[in-house]
Amino acid sequence: MTKAERRAFKKQMRSQHTLLRHENIISLLHQHLLIANGGLGNSVSRDMLEKVFKPCGSILDIVMVPGKPYSFVTFSDLSEAQSAVQSLQGTELPSSAASSEVPPVKLYLSFVKSVPGAEVASNILPAGLTLIQDFVSQEEEIELLKCIDWDYMDPQLKEDSKISLKHRRVKHFGFEFLYSTNNVDPDHPLDMGIPPECSPILQRMLSQQIILNLPDQLTVNQYQPGQGIPPHVDTHSAFEEELVSLSLGSQVVMDFKAPGGCHYPVFLPQRSLVVMRGESRYQLTHAIAPRKSDVVPLACLTKDNQMKLTLMARMERTSFTFRKVRNPPVCECDFPEQCDYQKLKKSNRPLTKPISTSPKELETEHVHQVYEEIATHFSDTRHTPWPRVAQFLNGLDPGSVVVDVGCGNGKYLGINPQLVMFGCDRSSGLTAISHERGHQVWVSDVLATPLRDGSVDAAICIAVIHHLSTQERRFQALVEMKRILRVGGKALIYVWARDQKRGNVASNYLKESSDLPRDEEIKSAVDAKDLKAELPTELSVHVNRTEFQQQDLLVPWKLKGKEEKQVFHRYYHVFEESELEELCQRMQDVEVNDVYYDQGNWCVIFTRIH
Amino acid sequence: MKLLTHNMLTSNIIKGVKNGYPLKISASDVQLIDVDFNPEFITRMIPKINWKVLHEAAQSLGHANDLPAELNAEYEADQEFLKKTHHVLLEVEVQEGDLICPETERKFPISHGIPNMLLKEEEI
Repeated sequence: MTKAERRAFKKQMRSQHTLLRHENIISLLHQHLLIANGGLGNSVSRDMLEKVFKPCGSILDIVMVPGKPYSFVTFSDLSEAQSAVQSLQGTELPSSAASSEVPPVKLYLSFVKSVPGAEVASNILPAGLTLIQDFVSQEEEIELLKCIDWDYMDPQLKEDSKISLKHRRVKHFGFEFLYSTNNVDPDHPLDMGIPPECSPILQRMLSQQIILNLPDQLTVNQYQPGQGIPPHVDTHSAFEEELVSLSLGSQVVMDFKAPGGCHYPVFLPQRSLVVMRGESRYQLTHAIAPRKSDVVPLACLTKDNQMKLTLMARMERTSFTFRKVRNPPVCECDFPEQCDYQKLKKSNRPLTKPISTSPKELETEHVHQVYEEIATHFSDTRHTPWPRVAQFLNGLDPGSVVVDVGCGNGKYLGINPQLVMFGCDRSSGLTAISHERGHQVWVSDVLATPLRDGSVDAAICIAVIHHLSTQERRFQALVEMKRILRVGGKALIYVWARDQKRGNVASNYLKESSDLPRDEEIKSAVDAKDLKAELPTELSVHVNRTEFQQQDLLVPWKLKGKEEKQVFHRYYHVFEESELEELCQRMQDVEVNDVYYDQGNWCVIFTRIH
Repeated sequence: MKLLTHNMLTSNIIKGVKNGYPLKISASDVQLIDVDFNPEFITRMIPKINWKVLHEAAQSLGHANDLPAELNAEYEADQEFLKKTHHVLLEVEVQEGDLICPETERKFPISHGIPNMLLKEEEI
């Protein structure tokens, strides 16, 4: 045997073992062949296999198994199967569009006694979901795609939409969808309504009674192959029940998942319309996996009733999702577990209108003023430096110029006497405390640090950026830190994490550490009542020392006065995993060196590289 | 506010201001405080600061004494020089006064030794 033959034989044996392990099949001489390396799991399609095996005889069947790197071919008799093994053992698949990015695929064949029953994603739709094929014509599809001007940026857009989302392009019409709150502001419609090109389509939906109410909000998402959208349920209180979405440019598989774990991969053909109501709208999450291709039952493509699978490459897909904004934002659905409105009502938290004040007003009232009021008490509870922040400062070169942006009571300013450290804070009360302790400080805002470009060797910003109320402002704070760093300078950022129990180790916040005051007790019901009248926002009040229910919230701070207890509410945006890292990655000339979780915070160290 | 801090600060955060550096000082209360002399620390700090700006700031407050306007190449060995530098950098404290933007004349008040560099919304 030559070396190549020996290798082929070895691979053949190994594939037989794999088969035994996975499917409990022992191979002898049979008309069925296992095609190792030729499966949906490694991006091989039915077409490709058919082309390869056709010359050997008449193929009765090809069975492809979802997610597995092998499949099965059945010939009409044994001799054909034998000749296929002889002539095609170790054959390379001709590189096609789908496989051009990867090294050539070599197929290894072995006989199998039987073929496992193909487990098929039979296109069963979840309750409440309707799929209408060919809802728009090819001409309408072209017309719709043409009417979206991706280069035009609506000056009215507030925040997130200005920065392109990592996984797709998005445009809003009628109302802006705010990703920071997963909601719309029904009192502030955009000047740009739903494009007139959509009218005939919407009228058709109404006349065919696919929908009962005319939508007033349109979100257009554009996905490149490989891009997706994480699992989510559209906020109940934000939109009416009916959601409709058109798939243009490409087909895709959308994954619906029930809370119990039941999974419905739904094939959305190009030009189809999907309508979500009931369970599929209110209870199931929907998502698009970030893949370049989908495994699709052939029955979805042809009238053929056989449940065979194939692989379909995704193209650029543009979805038009039409919704009607719910005003007032009151949802009385039958799915209280998934319903933001009913949950809030139940927990007796205030829910009136979405935030009507500007981000600046919100921060003035619920960050700056609160810190001034509680400065002394806050400072008394903040004496223990976090070890990993101290470690960062102790690792810097002696003589480094370092600024602590949002230094609070200055607990990090004296950690390493070898450094030239400055502190700044928005709160004059806290700055005064730092100054009394002999530190060099000034009062300034995290969005405008009065230092020259490239003037510091390092900067830290501990537990500050989570007080900024929009994604854009949080991003600007990071850009401002980068601006003052010299090339090669490092920044350390800490923000509060939504997840307070990572790896089953509760953070100090949940455990009630000694660094926090004892009198800050759990008394949520009282807090909520206090607030209802005076806070015209939809921010909910967090129950101290519990897990966070949402990303934007008000956290109570209890101050024991001489006569009565006062409660102050600080605004927080708690960060999801990788949210801070992604914001940092969006900056130019920055290299993220470290991302970690510490004491209930997400932490990033980045270096300015240009 | 020590002159070390003044050496760092700029008003370039104001919309339209290019450099905003150095800020002029208008002081109504300057105090001298004792700080332990650490020659090593001062030596390491000198390359990090703008000497000309330090010298002019000290002069404007009348505390330059005989601090040289130019840096001597062999300052590391010069104990007397390091002491003088230590004094102007760390021992001269502006308690009350203003920092003034060199381009717009915008005043930033210094109160109880702390400069307030906050801007109004329309200035950003």
